[in-house]
Amino acid sequence: MLTALVTLLSHYKRHPGQLAMLLLGLWVAGALWSGVQAINASARDSYARAEALFSTGLDRLERRDGEPLTREDYLRLRRAGLPVSPLLEGTLEASDGTELRVIGVDPFTLPGDSAFAAASSQGELTDFLTPPWQTRIAPDTLPALGVNAREAPGAEPRLATGRLPPLVLSPMLPPGTLVMDIAAAAVLLDSGERLSRLVTAPKALEHPPEGLVLTRATTLVSPGQLTESFHLNLTAMALLALVVGLFIVQAALGLALEQRLGMLRTLRALGVSGRGLVGLLALELVLLGVIGALAGIASGVWLARVLLPDVAATLGSLYGADVAVMLNLPWHYWLGGLGVTLGGLLLAGSGVLWRAARLSVLGLGQAQAWRAGFLRQLRGMALTGGAVAAGGLGLWVWLTHQPTGEGLLAGFGLIAALLLTSALLLPPLLALALAGLGRLMRRRPLAQWALADLKLQLPRLALAMMALLIALSANLGVSSMVGGFRLTFLEWLDQRLVADYYLRPAPEQFDAVQAWLAERPEVAELLPTRHAEATLLEVEGTGGARTPHLPVGLYGITPGESLIPSWPLLATQAGRDAAWQSFAAGEAFVNEQLAIDQGLAPSDRLTLSAPGGQETLVVAAVYPDYGNTRGEVLLATPKLAERFAATPSSIGIVLTVGADEVGLRDALRQRFELGSDALVDQREVKRVSVEIFERTFTITRALSVLTLAVAALALLASLLAQARERRRQLAPLWALGVPRARLVAIQLAQLGGMALAVGALAVPLGSVLALGLVAVINVAAFGWRLPLHVFPGDIALTLATAGAVALLAAALPAARLWRTPPRALLAEEAP
Amino acid sequence: MKPIAILTTLLTTAWLAGCADESPTSEAAGFAGLGEAAGDFAQARPGTSLRFPQDHAAHPDYRIEWWYLTANLEDERSEPLGLQWTLFRQAMTPPDERPEPTPWAADQLWMAHMAVSQGDTHRVAERFARSHSASEEGQAGTVAEPFRAWIDHWQLASHVETSGEASKTDTFAELSLSAHQDDEHGGFGYDLTLTAEGPLVLHGEAGFSQKAADGQGSFYYSQPFWRIEGEVTLDGETRMVSGRGWLDREWSSQLLDERQQGWDWFSLHLESGHKLMAFQLRGGGEDGGDYRSGTWVTPEGEPTALAPDAIGMTLLDTRRVSGREIPTRWRLEVPGAGFDLIVEAPHAERWMDTSVPYWEGEVVARDADSGEDKGIGYLEMTGY
Repeated sequence: MLTALVTLLSHYKRHPGQLAMLLLGLWVAGALWSGVQAINASARDSYARAEALFSTGLDRLERRDGEPLTREDYLRLRRAGLPVSPLLEGTLEASDGTELRVIGVDPFTLPGDSAFAAASSQGELTDFLTPPWQTRIAPDTLPALGVNAREAPGAEPRLATGRLPPLVLSPMLPPGTLVMDIAAAAVLLDSGERLSRLVTAPKALEHPPEGLVLTRATTLVSPGQLTESFHLNLTAMALLALVVGLFIVQAALGLALEQRLGMLRTLRALGVSGRGLVGLLALELVLLGVIGALAGIASGVWLARVLLPDVAATLGSLYGADVAVMLNLPWHYWLGGLGVTLGGLLLAGSGVLWRAARLSVLGLGQAQAWRAGFLRQLRGMALTGGAVAAGGLGLWVWLTHQPTGEGLLAGFGLIAALLLTSALLLPPLLALALAGLGRLMRRRPLAQWALADLKLQLPRLALAMMALLIALSANLGVSSMVGGFRLTFLEWLDQRLVADYYLRPAPEQFDAVQAWLAERPEVAELLPTRHAEATLLEVEGTGGARTPHLPVGLYGITPGESLIPSWPLLATQAGRDAAWQSFAAGEAFVNEQLAIDQGLAPSDRLTLSAPGGQETLVVAAVYPDYGNTRGEVLLATPKLAERFAATPSSIGIVLTVGADEVGLRDALRQRFELGSDALVDQREVKRVSVEIFERTFTITRALSVLTLAVAALALLASLLAQARERRRQLAPLWALGVPRARLVAIQLAQLGGMALAVGALAVPLGSVLALGLVAVINVAAFGWRLPLHVFPGDIALTLATAGAVALLAAALPAARLWRTPPRALLAEEAP
Repeated sequence: MKPIAILTTLLTTAWLAGCADESPTSEAAGFAGLGEAAGDFAQARPGTSLRFPQDHAAHPDYRIEWWYLTANLEDERSEPLGLQWTLFRQAMTPPDERPEPTPWAADQLWMAHMAVSQGDTHRVAERFARSHSASEEGQAGTVAEPFRAWIDHWQLASHVETSGEASKTDTFAELSLSAHQDDEHGGFGYDLTLTAEGPLVLHGEAGFSQKAADGQGSFYYSQPFWRIEGEVTLDGETRMVSGRGWLDREWSSQLLDERQQGWDWFSLHLESGHKLMAFQLRGGGEDGGDYRSGTWVTPEGEPTALAPDAIGMTLLDTRRVSGREIPTRWRLEVPGAGFDLIVEAPHAERWMDTSVPYWEGEVVARDADSGEDKGIGYLEMTGY
C-alpha cells in the first residue's frame, strides 16, 4: 500500500509545477479565509470584553445642564432610595503616548448581583477597595505601560500624573482600559468630588430624577451589534476568496488525475483494489490539504496582523469600538481554519475521487472519450445552475415580502446564488457560443479550427473561467458600491456641513457665546444645535398605530438661509419649501434609518416622551443620515429647547464673504475661555470624515483585488498545466505550414477572446451585484439606501483586467512555443 | 455577560489564585471570617464599662459591629408577621492604616439586611455601602445623639425632639424604623415606631460577652423591651401591625474562636414578661465542645448571666430548607429559672439568601411537658 502511495506521489516529483499549483491554491485560499477570520475573531473578543464592561448595559444619568455630577448628588439620590452607582471615567496618557481609559467604580452599588456573592473571603475585595488599591488591566494593554506580562502583577508603573495602583491582570477587560476603585481613580484623575455619571440597572428608574437626563442602555448600541454587518462583509469576501482558491485546487487535482490515469490503471492491474486506490487518493488529498492549510493559516495570521491596525482604527473611528491591535485568537479559531480549508479541499477533490472510483481499467484516456463526459457535465452544470437560479429567485421573492432593512443573511444568500448561477451557467453558455461561432466560420478553416480547438480546451479552462467571472463581477460590484457610496457620502458631507466653524462651548457659556457671536460683523448666520434623548412611544400613520417604545435621539438644527438650500431631503409631503416651512413651525424630520425601521412616511404622527409629559410631532420629511447608526428625529432648535428641554450642543458659525477668520477666532478665544477642541474648522471635520470613510473600505478593496489575483492565478495555472499537451495539438498545424507566429497569435486570440467574453458577462453581473449590495445588503446592514452609480471607468477596467489576465496567462506558454524548435514540435507527434 | 458578573470574576479569580498560593490559614476562619485574628484592631476585653449614648454609635477601631433588630408582630387580622432589620459594619483597615480621607476613600464597609415574613412568604433584601470613619455624612453610618443608623434610605433613627433639653432625654428610647425595597412581587418594607418599655440589658460581664472557653468575646447589649406600632408592606399590600421587638448591639474585633463554625442564637419574649437570650457556638468550648451562654432577664430588666453549664440545648428535628438540613425544633432548658421549653419555627422557609447566608426566623416556645404556649421570639442559625 505504501508503495502504491509513493508511486502516486511520485507523479508530483515529475510535475513539481502541479504540486506547486495545488499547494498555492490551498495556501492562498486558506490564507485569505483565515486572515479575515483572525481579524473577526480578534475583534469579537474585543467586543465581548467591552460589552462585559460597566459602561455598556447600564442606564446612565447625567445632569441636564451638562455640569458634572458630584458625590453630594450621589449621596442625595441614594438617600432618596434610588439604586444609582457612581462611575468616574477619564483618560491618562501612557509613556508611549497611548490614551488609556481609567474607569473608577464602586463595587458595592454597581448594579447586578452582589460583589460578595462569589467571594469566599473578603481579602481580595479589601485589596481592591483600600490603599494602595489595585489596577485591573488586560494583558494586551501592558505594552502601552512598558511592562511585560511576567513582571506585571503588582507592578506600579509611573505615569505623568502619578503611579498606578499595583497591577492585577484581568484578561476579560477591554484593551486600553484600567479599572479600579473609584477612590483610586479620583486620586489619579484629580477629580475631587466630581463624577462622570451615575449608572443604574437597566429600567431600574422609570423617570429621571429632577434635573437629570436618563439614557437607557438600549440606546447605547453595543459595538458587537453595530459592527456585525462590517464583519459579515469581511466574511463574505473571505468566503469568495476561499471558493476561488478552491477552483484552482480542483483544476490542479483534475489535471493530476488525468495525467495519472495510466498509472492508476497499471496499479489496478497490479492488484490494488478500486477502493484502496480511492482511499490512497483521499489520503494524498488530506496530506496535501494539511500542508496547504497550515501554510494558509500561518500566512493568514500574518495577513491579519498586518491588516488589524487598520481594521481597528476603522472600527474605532466609525463605531467607537475599541479593538485590540494585537491578535487574540481562541483555540476554536485554529481548528476552524483547518476544518474549513480541509473541508473545502475534500469538496473540491470529491469529483476527482468519484472519477477515480469509476475508473475503467481498460478504457483509454482519449480526448473524444472525455468530450462525451464533458457534455454530460455541461448538462449537469446547466441543470444545477437552473436550480440555484430558481432558489435565488425564491429568496428574492421572499426578500421583497420582508420589511425593508431585514434579511442581511438572506441578502448575502441571494448574492451567492447569483454568483453561483452565473458561474455554473458559464461553461454551457461558452460551449454554445463556440458551437455557434464555429458554424459561422465555416469558410475560414483556421478560425474554425481555433474555435473547435477552444471547445476541446473548454473542459480544462471552464473552472478557471468560472473563477475569473466570479472574481471580476465581485470586483466590479464592490468597486461600484464603494465608489457610489463615496460620491454620495462626500456630497452629503458638503450638504450637511454648511457652517465654516463649529463651536462647542461649555453648557454654562452657551448663551453668552451665542449672544456675543450674534453681534460680530464677521458672522453671517449662527446655527445653534441642541440634543436630547426621548422614547418613541407611539407611531400613527397610514399603516395604523403602533407603540414601539424605542429610544431615539432628538437633534435640533436652525432652518435658515445657509441650511435650507443644501440640507438633503429624501421624501416630503408637498415639496421641499412646504417641508421647511412646516419644520420651522414645529414639525419634525426623521432620518432614513428611523423611517425604514419604523416604516415612517411624511405626514405620519410620532408621540415622544418629554420632560413635561408627551409630545406629538408630525413628520414633515425624511432625510438621509449616513454614518449614523440610530434613529433620529430632527426639530428646529428653539422648538426642541422649548418642548424637550434639550441641552445645547454646538453652534455652527457661517462667516460673511471675506470675513477675517483669524481675527474672529482670536477674539473668541480671548473673550471666552474655550477648551483646545471647542472650536473646529469645517474643513477639518470633512478631512477626518473622508479619512474614516477611506479607511473603512481599504480592506474591502484590498480583499477584492486579492480575489481577482487569485482568479488570474487559477487561469495561469490551468494554462501552464496543459501547455505541453497543447503543443501536441499545434504540431500538425505547424506541419501543415502555419507559421509559428501565427500559431502564437491564434493562441493569444483564443484565450484573450474568451476572457473578454467572460469580462463582458461580468459587467452586467457586477452591476446586478452592486445593486444587490446597495439596495439589500446596505439597507439591512446600515439602514440606508444608496443611489446606484455606474462607473464606466470601472467597467473598462474590468474588461481590461480580464483581457490582461488572459493574455498574461497565455503569454508564458506562447513564449515557450515561440522558442520551441520545429524539430521538437515534430517530436510531439509521437506520444 | 452582566457588568457585575465581570466584576465578580475580576474580584474572585485573583482571589482563588491567591488562596492557592498561601497557606490554608488564609481561608476564612470561623463563620464569614468572624474568627480571623484581630491583628491591630482594638480588642474587646472584660472590665471595660459601656458608655451611653456614645456606644449606640459605631466603633470603627473594632473590626465588626452590628445593629440587629427582630420583631414578632401581628397584623389587623391577628396573623403573626416577623421582620428583621440589620446593619453590619466592618472595618477594612486597622485604625493606624486608614487611608487619607480623600473623596470616595473608605475604611468602613457596611452591609444591611432586611426581611419581612408571614406564613410561607419570606422577602429579603441586602445593601452595601462604604464610608470613611473621618467623615460624618456617608452613604451609610451612625450618629450617637440623637441616635441615627442608616444605609441609603433605610434608617433606624430617634424621633425624640432634642431641642433645648437634649442631655436629659434618652433619644435611644423612641426610634423610627423605615426601610423599603422594590422587587418583582410588588415591593416590601416597613415604617414603624419603636418605644422602649424597659431598660437596656448588658449581657455577660457588664456588657462583655465571652464567646469561647479561651476568653474570646465581644461587647454586647440589647434593648429587648420594644413595643412596636406601624405599617408593614408585603408584596405590595400594606397592613397595620403591632407587637414586640428586640434590638441587639454587638461589636468586637474577633467574635469567634477560629475553630467555631457557626452559632444557634435564641431571643425569646416570654409570656411572664421575662426575656431569654441564649446561644451556643458550635466548637470552641471546653474540650472542643460547643460553647453556650445566655442571659435571663426579669420583666423589670434585671439580667442574670447564664453560665455555659446552666443552659441545655438539644436538637430535636431538622427540615430541608434551600438544600440544607436546618434545625427547626429545639429543646431549650434553663433549670435555674425553672424552664424547659420546646422552641419551634412554625415556618421553616426563612433562609436569608444574602451574600453571607444564614437562617433567621420567628419561633414559638411551648412548655416541654404541657405543650402550653410560653412565648415567642426569633432564632438565628449560622454556618449550616
